[in-house]
Amino acid sequence: MLQRDIFITEITKSLEKDKNIFFLSADFGAAALDELRDKYPENFLHCGISEQAMMDVATGLALEGKKVFVYAMAPFLSLRSIEQTKCGPGLMNLPICLISVGIGLGYADSGPTHYSTEDFACFNAIIGTNVYTPSDNITTKLIAKIILNEPKFSYVRLDRDSLPLINPETVNSDIKRGFRIFGDVDTKKIVIISHGKMFHKCFEIYKSEPKKFTCVDMIRSKPFPNELSKFINKCKGIIVVDEQSPSGNLSSCIFEGLSNQNYFPKIISKSLPERYVFENGGRDYLLDINGLSIKDIKETSNRINNAD
Amino acid sequence: MLKINDLENISKKYRLDLFEKFLLMKQGHVGSIFSMMDIVVAMYHCGYVRFDEKTKSFLDKVLISKGHATSALYPILKDFGVIPQKEWDNWGHKDSILRVFGNNKIPGIEVTSGSLGHCVGVGSGMAINFKRSKIKKKIFVIISEGELYEGSTWEALLFAKHYNLDNLTIIIDINSLIILGKTEDCLNLNPIKNKIEGLGIKTFEVDGHNFNDLISTFQSSQNTNELNCILAKTIKGKGVKHMENKKHWHYWNHMTSEEIKKTKKDLT
Repeated sequence: MLQRDIFITEITKSLEKDKNIFFLSADFGAAALDELRDKYPENFLHCGISEQAMMDVATGLALEGKKVFVYAMAPFLSLRSIEQTKCGPGLMNLPICLISVGIGLGYADSGPTHYSTEDFACFNAIIGTNVYTPSDNITTKLIAKIILNEPKFSYVRLDRDSLPLINPETVNSDIKRGFRIFGDVDTKKIVIISHGKMFHKCFEIYKSEPKKFTCVDMIRSKPFPNELSKFINKCKGIIVVDEQSPSGNLSSCIFEGLSNQNYFPKIISKSLPERYVFENGGRDYLLDINGLSIKDIKETSNRINNAD
Repeated sequence: MLKINDLENISKKYRLDLFEKFLLMKQGHVGSIFSMMDIVVAMYHCGYVRFDEKTKSFLDKVLISKGHATSALYPILKDFGVIPQKEWDNWGHKDSILRVFGNNKIPGIEVTSGSLGHCVGVGSGMAINFKRSKIKKKIFVIISEGELYEGSTWEALLFAKHYNLDNLTIIIDINSLIILGKTEDCLNLNPIKNKIEGLGIKTFEVDGHNFNDLISTFQSSQNTNELNCILAKTIKGKGVKHMENKKHWHYWNHMTSEEIKKTKKDLT
């Protein structure tokens, strides 16, 4: 099942009891959305392929006390309507949840127009956002439940693809804390921090060399989970892996968050390069040729070791 | 019901009151505020925006999309007791809640605006909620003609028409000027009426400074029971001779004591 179907199914379940919910789509679908539209047509609005108007309509609904979910492909929901997002839920602190599908190179091989490699930087920059990037379906479901129970201005970054389940399962307290940590931390270990699809590559690295690496799944990047520094502050160094462009990605967020806690570790950013990706070959191939293979990430740890 | 002469005097007084504030603060978008003043006086003082005396609040919603002119509402809201007199008196001081650009923390101001092209969409969101909830409230959105340059305005008009938002009235303040000059010279918007009617939206044309015309137009708008758009032809800086139809009076400008005297005379 896809993350989008998991999330929307939770909304549909809530609609059974809570008719205060509105779901808006800019002509973006899902199997679960067909069910929502069918069961609750009065709570669904097709806004046309008009992300800007959709965000303004969402603002009007939220000003009237509605719980609003807006839904579109990540590159368009994030960038086309970002000023509406700032001026609506941002400036007026409204409980609008943006469900953004296809982060990173999720829409490979559609090309750069359909890649969402800047959305993380954009939404972290907007004041008042809660930014989530689930790495599997259980995490997605728990995030949906939390937002439905406590509606807030949030940006949920869903993967286009089905991602493997993380074992052991994510639990509610992980979502509230904002991250999961796999393995112990000591002065010889390197912590790899990531989220979404890239987390799974990092998780593989950790599982193959648990004595060398610790792995963090950054479920919520904003508000920054301040508790993180307490868990990793003895590490040798940090590699932050993100399927985003080089500036303003998860590594910036980690650096800001940790330095605000007066923790200044060695941090290396592994991201997509400063260029638009036009090649074909599928997402995994594109990640491999753009410095985000497991081998590349592992080799990055040498830079930390050599820096001693 | 107030007489036409009373409405004209109210408008004149509000313009003077606002001018005094702007003079104190040395800021304010006088031209754009004065162009829409008669429109909002007619809307509020003739009861098209319904007021509940018991709760001292308005039943209907007015969104000023041209956020630089939101303060046109402040003297009206003060007179209805929605904005307390002490807040009006405090305007211009650092701790005042009143701002040149309005925000939804100010009593009676429904939306934070300032960036253009947002409120047809925001008003549509409110309107569809009321319609689906069967709440009998009206939404009035006032936009500047310049907001027709924003794609989001047209996106939202499509939305409003598709969902048949019969509780929504959009008023376009057409003073024919934007910052760099006349709209027809900068980037022509005409024929605005044809373009909006082309979307299937009922339109009315009105002289935005003629109270008889404004009242009959608001009455017709109210009677249509369909989404409608009022095209109000106005004069930027209306009421002050040296400001009228002057593009540079979009913003506040330094004034000599002679100009200040003349302005006050025009507004008295």
